[in-house]
Amino acid sequence: MPSIKGGKQKNWLFTLLLIAAIAVILFVFNIISDGVFLEKSNLKVIISHVVYPCFIAWGFCFLFACGYTDMSIGGVVVLGSFASCILGNQIGIPGVIIGGLLTGLALIFVNFLVFTYTGIPSWIAGISLALIYEAVAVFLKVGKTTGPLVNTALNREYRLLGQLPWSLVFLFAGLVVIYFLYNRTTIGLNIRALGGNKEVSKALGINVNKTLLAVGLISGILIGIACILQQSYAGQTTVKTGLTSINMIFQPLAIYLLAQIIQKQINIVIAVPICSFILYAVFNILTIMGVPSGTLQEAFLGVFIVIFGIIGQRKVKGVIK
Amino acid sequence: MNNEVILEIRNLNKRFGPTHANKNINFTLKRGEIRGLIGENGSGKSTLLSQIAGIQRYDSGEMYVNGEAYEPHSPLDANKHKISMVMQELGVVGNLSAGVNVFLGRTGQFSKFGIISMKKMNRAAQEQFKKWNLSMPPLNQQTDGMMIESRKMIELARALSVDPDIILLDEVTQSLSLNNRRQLYELINRLKEMGRSVIVITHDIEEMVEITDSITVLRDGEIVGEVKSSETTPDEIRMMMVGREINGDYYRADMTPDYSDEVVLDVKNISVPHEISDVSFQVHAGEILGFCGLSDSGIHSVGKAVYGLSKLSAGSVELKYNGLSIKKPTDALRNNVGYVPKDRDNEALMIHASIKDNFCLPSLGELEGKVWLLNPAKLNKLSNEMTESLSVKCTGIKQTMDALSGGNKQKVNFGRWLAKDLKLLILDCPTRGVDVGVKAYIYQLIKEAKAKNIATILISDELTEVLGMADRLLVMKDGHVTREIRRDEDFTEQSVIGVMI
Repeated sequence: MPSIKGGKQKNWLFTLLLIAAIAVILFVFNIISDGVFLEKSNLKVIISHVVYPCFIAWGFCFLFACGYTDMSIGGVVVLGSFASCILGNQIGIPGVIIGGLLTGLALIFVNFLVFTYTGIPSWIAGISLALIYEAVAVFLKVGKTTGPLVNTALNREYRLLGQLPWSLVFLFAGLVVIYFLYNRTTIGLNIRALGGNKEVSKALGINVNKTLLAVGLISGILIGIACILQQSYAGQTTVKTGLTSINMIFQPLAIYLLAQIIQKQINIVIAVPICSFILYAVFNILTIMGVPSGTLQEAFLGVFIVIFGIIGQRKVKGVIK
Repeated sequence: MNNEVILEIRNLNKRFGPTHANKNINFTLKRGEIRGLIGENGSGKSTLLSQIAGIQRYDSGEMYVNGEAYEPHSPLDANKHKISMVMQELGVVGNLSAGVNVFLGRTGQFSKFGIISMKKMNRAAQEQFKKWNLSMPPLNQQTDGMMIESRKMIELARALSVDPDIILLDEVTQSLSLNNRRQLYELINRLKEMGRSVIVITHDIEEMVEITDSITVLRDGEIVGEVKSSETTPDEIRMMMVGREINGDYYRADMTPDYSDEVVLDVKNISVPHEISDVSFQVHAGEILGFCGLSDSGIHSVGKAVYGLSKLSAGSVELKYNGLSIKKPTDALRNNVGYVPKDRDNEALMIHASIKDNFCLPSLGELEGKVWLLNPAKLNKLSNEMTESLSVKCTGIKQTMDALSGGNKQKVNFGRWLAKDLKLLILDCPTRGVDVGVKAYIYQLIKEAKAKNIATILISDELTEVLGMADRLLVMKDGHVTREIRRDEDFTEQSVIGVMI
C-alpha cells in the first residue's frame, strides 16, 4: 500500500538541486560582471525590486486558481497607487496604506462582482474595466480623459514601506500568511477546488459564489498591498490611456508562470519569491552587461521562461501506479 | 436485513425541460438491504440517485429517512443525514491531493484557528482507506494523472468517510478491475452486515443479480418492476429493462479461433517504465486478441503503448502491412489504426464540442478537399450517416457531447473509428458504463469489424467480455504477459483467474 508521503522525497531533492543551481548561476553572474553582481548594494537593488511584483503574482495564484483571467490588475495598481500617493501626501504613511489597500480591495471586489454575476468572460470584462480605470486615473490627474502621460509622486518622507528593510518585512509576513491561506485553510482549498473542477466542488457542497467573492477579497488585499509597495518603492506611478496599464502586469505574470512551472516540486506560494528573485537577477545581470532594457531584455525573458518550462516539465508524468 | 424502512420515496417527479426524467417514483429501502437499480441509459436511474444524494432537487413528491421528512438541499445536507454517493462521471479535483479530496467540503473539522492540519487530515484519510480495506493511492500526491481506478477509490473513501447509513454507488464497478471489484463486493457485504443500506447501479446484470438482495427496474423514468435477486434471472431483467426479449447472440457463439494468417501488428519486447515490461505479441487480420488482468497488471498501458501514447523504453510496435513503426499517435492515426480509450470523457471525446465535431475528428485527413479545406457538406454527411447508422439518440449533430447519455457517448466514441478504413482497432473497455442494449450493439460492431478482416485488440476489466469475444487471450500480471490461451483451449473464467491471481 502506498504511503501518505509519496513524492515528498523527490520534491526535497528538487528543492536542493534548485538551490544549488541558483547558487551556481549567481556565482557565474558574479564572475561575468567582474564581482559587481554580488556586491551588497547591487543585491539590495534586486531584493527591493522583488517585493512588489510578488504580491501581484500571489494575487494571480488566487485569481487563476479559480479560473479567472483579470486583465484589469494593471489599471487597479495604477488607481491604487494614485490613491496611496494622494492620501499619503495628505496624512502621511497611514494614508499611503489606507489609500492603496482600500482602492485595491474595492476595485478587485468590483471586478469579481462583475465576473461572478454578469457571466461575461473574465478576460473581456477585465479589459473593459482596465480601460475604465485608466481613464479614471487620467481624469483624476488632469481633469480630462484624453491620453497624456501622467504621473503622480509620493513625498520622499512617506516612501518608507517600499524601502529595505520594511519591504522585506512585508515579503516575509506575506509569504507566511499567504502560504497558510492558500494551502492550509478551508477557503484556500475551496478556491483551488473550484479552479480544479467546478462541478465536483459544487457537488461537495462548496458555495461557488461565496468562494469566488472570497477570491476577490483576498486578491484585492494582495493587489492593495502591491499598490502601497509600488508607490512607496518607485515614488511615482505613470499611466497613459489605451491599455498601457497592462504593461504593469507582464513581469508579475512571468513570475507566476515560472512559479507555476515548478509548482509540482515547490509549493507555488514559495516558488513566487524564488522566481521573482531569479527573474530580477537575470534583468540585473543583463543591465550590468549593457543589454538595453526594453525589447531585448524582454526577448531574454521569453527565452528564459521557455528554458525554465522545459526543465520544469521534464519527467513530469501524470500516471501513477 | 431487517424490515425497518430506512428510506421511503413517494410520488417523486423530476423534469428537465420537456423530459420527464422521473415519473411518480415510489420506492422503499430497508435497513441492511442491498438494492440494485437498473435500466437502459437515460432511464432515470442516476437522476433518482442524485435527488436522494441532494445533488438535484425534486420537483414534487416526498422523501422520508428513518420516518422523518427528508428534502436535502445539498450533498453536505445529505451527508448530515448519513447518505452519501459515488457518482458515475464526477470524479475528483485534479489539482488537489488525494487526502484533501477525501474530505473536500468538510476540511473544517481538521482546522484549528483557521489552519488545517494536513497531517491530521491525511491520517484520517488513511484510516478510511484502511477501515474499509480500499486500495490507497499516495495521499500527498495530486490526483491529476492518477488512473481512473485510483480516482474511484478516492471517491469511495470520500463517500464512506461520512459513515453513511445509505450509500449510493452509481456505476462504480465499471471503472474497477477484477481484484478491486471483489474488494468492493466484500465492502458491500460488510456494509450489509453492519446494517447499512446500499443502492447500486450497474449495467452488469449478472453482477447485479449476484450482489444485491432486490432489483428495481426503471424504463423511461418509471419503475416498471421490482424483483428479489434470488428469484430472477439476468434474461428476465433484460426483458424488463427494454420491454421486449433481446434476440440474437450477445457474445460470439463459436468456440474456435477464426482469423487469417496475415500478421497486421507485430509488437516486440515493449517496455514502459513502471507499467509494462518485455511484452510481445502479434495480431492477425480478422482476429480479436483479448487482454485481461488485475488492476496493476498493465493491460491498459498496452493499448496506450501500441497507439504511441506512451514512450517506450525498449521494444518496437510495427504495422506489418506497410512496415511502419508506431512511435507517436499520429503514426497510428495516419496508418489505419483506431483507439478507443477506457476513460471516455477525459481521454477520448471533446466533451463540450458537438457530435459532428467528434465524429469527424479522426477522419479530417480523409475529409479534406484539394486545397486542404474542409467541406462542410462532407462533414455533415459523415456525421448524419454515422448518427443514423449507430442510432445515436440526440437532437441533431450540432448537440454537444456532454448532453448525451453514457451509451450514446460511447456510440460516438466507438463509431467514429468505423467511418475510417481501419486495419487495426484497439478497444480499451469499450462497454464501460453502457447498458445492455448498447452493449449488445457494440459486440455486434466488434463482430462486424472482425468480419471485415480488421485486427482488434480488446482490453477489458470484464472477464466475461474477453472470454465471450476473443480468439486468443493474453493474461497479464505485474506488467508481464503470463499466459496465452486460445479460444479452443481452456477458455474458462476459472483457468484465467487462476493465472491472473
